[in-house]
Amino acid sequence: MDPDLVLLLNGIVSGLLLGGLYAAAASGLAVAFGMLDIVNIAHPALMVTGAFTVVALGTWLGLDPLLVAVLQAPLYYLLGVGIYSAYHHFFEKRGEEALQGLAFFFGVMFIIEVGLVMVFGPEQRFLDPSYAYTTWRLGEIDLPLRMLVPGLFAMGCIGLLFLYLHRSFTGLAIAAVAQDAEALRLMAVNPVKIKRLAFGISIALASMAGGALVVVQPVEPSSGQVFIGRVFAICIMGGMASLPGCIMAALLFGVVENVTATFFGPSWSPAVAFGWLLLVLAFRPQGLFGKAA
Amino acid sequence: MASSSSLEITGIDAGYGAVRVLEGVSMSVPAGQTVVLLGTNGNGKTTLMRSIMGQVRPSAGTIVAVLDGKPVNLVGLAPEQVVEHGIVLVPEGRRLFPRLTVEQNLRLGAFRDVARARLPENLALCYEMFPRLKERRTQLVGSMSGGEQQMVALGRAVMSAPRILLVDEPSVGLAPILVSRTMEMIAEMKARLGLTVLMAEQNFHQAVRIADRGYVIVHGHMVFEGGSAAALQDNELVRKVYLGL
Repeated sequence: MDPDLVLLLNGIVSGLLLGGLYAAAASGLAVAFGMLDIVNIAHPALMVTGAFTVVALGTWLGLDPLLVAVLQAPLYYLLGVGIYSAYHHFFEKRGEEALQGLAFFFGVMFIIEVGLVMVFGPEQRFLDPSYAYTTWRLGEIDLPLRMLVPGLFAMGCIGLLFLYLHRSFTGLAIAAVAQDAEALRLMAVNPVKIKRLAFGISIALASMAGGALVVVQPVEPSSGQVFIGRVFAICIMGGMASLPGCIMAALLFGVVENVTATFFGPSWSPAVAFGWLLLVLAFRPQGLFGKAA
Repeated sequence: MASSSSLEITGIDAGYGAVRVLEGVSMSVPAGQTVVLLGTNGNGKTTLMRSIMGQVRPSAGTIVAVLDGKPVNLVGLAPEQVVEHGIVLVPEGRRLFPRLTVEQNLRLGAFRDVARARLPENLALCYEMFPRLKERRTQLVGSMSGGEQQMVALGRAVMSAPRILLVDEPSVGLAPILVSRTMEMIAEMKARLGLTVLMAEQNFHQAVRIADRGYVIVHGHMVFEGGSAAALQDNELVRKVYLGL
């Protein structure tokens, strides 16, 4: 095969795999930011926290990182419930969520990063699963399991979340709560309860994305920073509240980044990927996969 | 099917902060009747509706619903709890969820347990009463016309399996022909579901068509109580305020 074509195909495939990781990181934010209107910029920091606890627990118990990520998720759900309760009590209830709420999550992010340095130290941590150095080959295309497994894991988590949101009354209430919380009360729904639950789910997803992150790469306390811009960009391109849109946008973002890096060098990839976001915002402000209402 | 649920409001004061909107307001909504609360803008109709639903807390007075013979004091309950008792409001401006589909809006109406158990039959009833909604079930509500949105709002109330239905200004923003249709739809809902209805409205002519009884509220005071539609039409004050005679 033509070497350029092989390069391109491999760039696309590994971009899709990278996109799987982005989807994991962005899906929880699609719930908090897209559905609840909560601008949680601490989301990637919480993902990295999840990654650190996966390393610690996985090393201690001798278990696979993704299994640990599932097992610890309920604890992160509770953490999310706690964070939302504080956010609601101090900001949302008083109608000060716009600026002060943003500052709150900024603060949470810094506290988490410093906390991680203090507890785990500043150096990189890793926990290799048994398949870390296995690569499947389909003809000329490489499929490293280190990328493929977390990507599939992410799709599985998002798929389950999608089913839950679309099949349950709670899911319907989550989709409605940011549109008109007061009207929701007239349907006998307590909007604060719904938001608390949804934010808990969002943080549980962040921690599971942390498990996926550990499989892909070693983590350090500031690993979340490179994700902040990307996950928000993906949520916006995906149409905010749409999980399928979020996945598609994440995969596209990964492919654009990776193909650009393959042919023009890695320093171009963020510029091209974010330039693309600007184009989307200019021509389809509701997002690539969002519906205009 | 006849309703056995009624509503008794006695001497309530209510307002927002230092602004008092209602003063010593009393009214009764007997079981199985349609009562209209008439008044022009800014006289306290919506505040009264919001007080019944627990969205505004009255500073004095009582609001008691009698549900299947059992009196329930509504003052101090949260809106969610009032709805759990089967008292359902179609709010002013409809307050639908614009980025959800017709069917999603309808299903949300059936959130409470009692309504959830009856979801399939109530959804079928909705689509029978409003065939238009069945055609448009996957359409986003935000992209529908005012008349269609009104159907969704009424349909959503049907889904809540109400015993007492409150409707706040259903005529707002609708063309005259649609106002008339809306009144017919409310009357049909009442008959089919065996409801007790309280409707706040400023469109006198349309509202009295379906009313068994009426009240007129001016500046937060109940100034007239009419036993029948005829009594309302003959009243001096009503003629002056509404009919310009």
